Amino acid sequence: MTEASVSLAAAAAPARRRGAIGTIVAAFNANKTAWLGLAVFLAIALAAALAPWLAPFDPIEQHIADAMTSPNATYWLGTDTFGRDLLSRILWGARISIVIGVASMAAGVIVGSALGLMAGYWGGRIEQLIMRSMDVLLSFPTLIMGLLVVAMLGPSMVNLIVAMALTMVPKFARVARAPTIAIKERDYIEACRALGYSDLRIMFVHILPNVIGDILVLASLWTATAIRIEASLSFIGLGVKPPTATWGGIIREGFDNIMDAPWISLYAGLAVLLTVFALNLLGDGLRDAVDPRLRGE
Amino acid sequence: MVAFIAKRLLSAIPTLLAVLTVLFVIIRIVPGDPAIAILGDNATAEAVAALRERLGLDHPLYAQYRDFLLMIAQGDLGSSMATGQPVWDEVRSTLPYTLELTIASILIGIAFGLPIGALAATNRNTIIDYAARIGSLLGLSFPAFYTAILLILAFSIELGWFPVISQGVPLTDVGNRLYNLALPAISQGLIMVGYVARASRSSILEVLGEDYVRTARAKGLDPRVIILRHVMRNALIPIVTVVGLYLGLLIGNSVLTEIVFNRPGIGKLIVEALSQRDYTLLQGLMIVFAFFIVLVNMLTDIAYGLIDPRVRRQ
Amino acid sequence: MPEPLLKVRDLTTLFKTSTGWFPAIRDVSFDVWPNETLCLVGESGCGKSITALSIMGLLPGKKMRRTEGEVVLDGQPLLELPDKAMRAVRGAKMSMIFQEPMTSLNPVLPVGLQVAEPLIAHGGLGRAAAEAEALRLLDLVRIPDASQRMAQYPHQLSGGMRQRVMIAMALACRPKILFADEPTTALDVTIQAQVLSLLNDLRADTGMSLVLITHDLGVVASMADRVAVMYAGEVVETASVEALFARPTHPYTEMLLGSIPRADRDVDTLVAIGGQVPAIDAMPAGCRFAPRCFLAEPGCRAAAPALMALRSDDRHQVRCQVRIAQAAPDAMRAGAIR
Repeated sequence: MTEASVSLAAAAAPARRRGAIGTIVAAFNANKTAWLGLAVFLAIALAAALAPWLAPFDPIEQHIADAMTSPNATYWLGTDTFGRDLLSRILWGARISIVIGVASMAAGVIVGSALGLMAGYWGGRIEQLIMRSMDVLLSFPTLIMGLLVVAMLGPSMVNLIVAMALTMVPKFARVARAPTIAIKERDYIEACRALGYSDLRIMFVHILPNVIGDILVLASLWTATAIRIEASLSFIGLGVKPPTATWGGIIREGFDNIMDAPWISLYAGLAVLLTVFALNLLGDGLRDAVDPRLRGE
Repeated sequence: MVAFIAKRLLSAIPTLLAVLTVLFVIIRIVPGDPAIAILGDNATAEAVAALRERLGLDHPLYAQYRDFLLMIAQGDLGSSMATGQPVWDEVRSTLPYTLELTIASILIGIAFGLPIGALAATNRNTIIDYAARIGSLLGLSFPAFYTAILLILAFSIELGWFPVISQGVPLTDVGNRLYNLALPAISQGLIMVGYVARASRSSILEVLGEDYVRTARAKGLDPRVIILRHVMRNALIPIVTVVGLYLGLLIGNSVLTEIVFNRPGIGKLIVEALSQRDYTLLQGLMIVFAFFIVLVNMLTDIAYGLIDPRVRRQ
Repeated sequence: MPEPLLKVRDLTTLFKTSTGWFPAIRDVSFDVWPNETLCLVGESGCGKSITALSIMGLLPGKKMRRTEGEVVLDGQPLLELPDKAMRAVRGAKMSMIFQEPMTSLNPVLPVGLQVAEPLIAHGGLGRAAAEAEALRLLDLVRIPDASQRMAQYPHQLSGGMRQRVMIAMALACRPKILFADEPTTALDVTIQAQVLSLLNDLRADTGMSLVLITHDLGVVASMADRVAVMYAGEVVETASVEALFARPTHPYTEMLLGSIPRADRDVDTLVAIGGQVPAIDAMPAGCRFAPRCFLAEPGCRAAAPALMALRSDDRHQVRCQVRIAQAAPDAMRAGAIR
């Protein structure tokens, strides 16, 4: 607010000086909900990784005699129309969702940030070209883009990852570009140039660390979106083909039998909700940690 | 102001062109032969050739592109391969359903999201604030179809208040139409409430800390005047951004909501086109989407100009 | 005996930090008489802004902040006033202008409306009448083409013009006292002089009092009738401007004046004041300036000195027991202020 309250706040802070990363980590530490989000997500990811050992049954094995039973002692979450154990299917479905979510986010981050850094640093025609293409890609809602790409290329894990990475690249490009433009004018970058460092080195060794915070925030939030969209695409029927268990696919089957076996959609949907919510909590907490204004000062 | 709107209209055209081009590219990048993809591997060579000719696939790419653009310019969206009907007819009967769902969701989102965000901002770091923040985050974490399913489970199956399967209802039957709209709109609206509440909170918080709000207080103005005249107009700018941004999300979600509630909207049409491999119908629908998206972006820009005079001078 | 227009006694404002409540300003006392300019001087962070904001009641929420002491404006005590009554005083009897004219004006509202607002809120004028008066005010603060400027937005005006708009806004309801928090610091040097002279003329014409907050001793020399020097949240010296420059008494004031380069004589060394202002939660027990003071004696760190008048001049007060003892070793006099 006023200079008085700014110096007041500075005076009230502990005298120990922290680096940028340290401040972020410290603020994040204080944010309990963020830790909760991270913990829940890691737990789910771990469960997914260990699915082959954790799942009580084979996810595609059918027990016709026990079909459509509500949760009980044998089948903790019940069974579906083919008598397949819901819990096992959900655990295996987690593998698909998380792999697709994380992989598409990683692809989006790597390609998008690189493009954004290049656009911001080199400017001129290159920047125009890159950012215009990004704008066009941005016009497509994620689900529609996913729909289109999968419809044209066929449903497979790789295609799903590509489809969603395509929607994420422009977001990360935008986020990486803005601070790059601000930073490239600073004196220490001049110094780097004077020392003869290559452009690539300057971009990735010196500018990138300043952008990391914002990118991390987006990364968690967009992983959440990717997982949600994957579930949506599977729900529509454009996900990985059955009998592979996917969360969206399970919910679809459950929906077709909503009157008789509501637990199917209920629990599978809960799995999606929990994962997405956890990642959103994480992303939110990161955002509060990275942007000091939001920390409540 | 008029000049500003005109400029925005003009700049929408190249964007539209670019989006349509991307559409064109995506639809034609099917590896291998689209005709075979449609007809299946067992199709005869003559059938494939006939389809190729019918779809204009035997022409060189630039000619296809030219024809594509010409077609759109003439307002022709092609004809459905399955029914033979012009795409435009199909669109005309289904677009209203999707539009009303989208508009209703936005209205619900703003009507509930804005007050929640304002409450949270003015009661910062209290229970109200935390509840609002966690609640909105939870709200927008729901996959659209899950909310829909939960609502159906609760209100249609358990309580029987709403029909499980809705039907097409003529526009004249307003009551029935709104009745069928209620549950779908709430299910999509919930997600919008989450986004709008968060955007409102952070934007109002930011404005409250601005120097000009301090000046307004220094003038001894009534707090209600300060909120309404000084804070809200400035806070609206990021909120408009959010609504514009998530309009795209809404359009995508309407596909899911329409499937769950069996509403005869464009989303459902797209899915049918996909499953029937109705290539031309799909293309036509996507063109409609492209227009819609560009229109929304343009309207958002114009809304900025209306709210923020600094934008107008560009 | 005539009463001062504004009487401030023992004003203390505490802020809640993660480690407890700490006073940002402590026992601040001064008077402002009608038709005079009082300058509040000190380095950044000494509490001069907070003093003004505390008096105006513009500090953020009661949960994080407590204000104690006594503030009386024109016979009316201000600190205990309920919100609604305080709002009636703010903008009408007491106004404030701020350092950054760009961010202090609402970017989406026309300038004319912003100047008219206090008139509508306090003067009960209708919109048309208020805007007519706003136009007159814009002329008064010497804005050219005022009628055109009325409908313009802040971003269309230059920095100097924006500050004039702020002045017009503050003067709309003819306040008795105007607080100006570093009004020219953010402006070009050439504009600074114009704005300051405008403030001076307006003050003389309307008979209002001006409390000018600044860190620039040059501004003090040209504008002030009386001066209050602040350090680390306390007033350490108050005097007429002539007395302050001729006979600076508090060691801090002396060092401040010694650190200015002067055009009229050669100075071998500019005195730099060694050390730093202590942090708000680490204030020394005794005199706050003692760690940096060239006059400091053992007794200084033991007990915090009170603000006392010099024997030679009733209206010249100093917060320094060494100086007070020097001035009158055998007869210390408690002045009008504690």
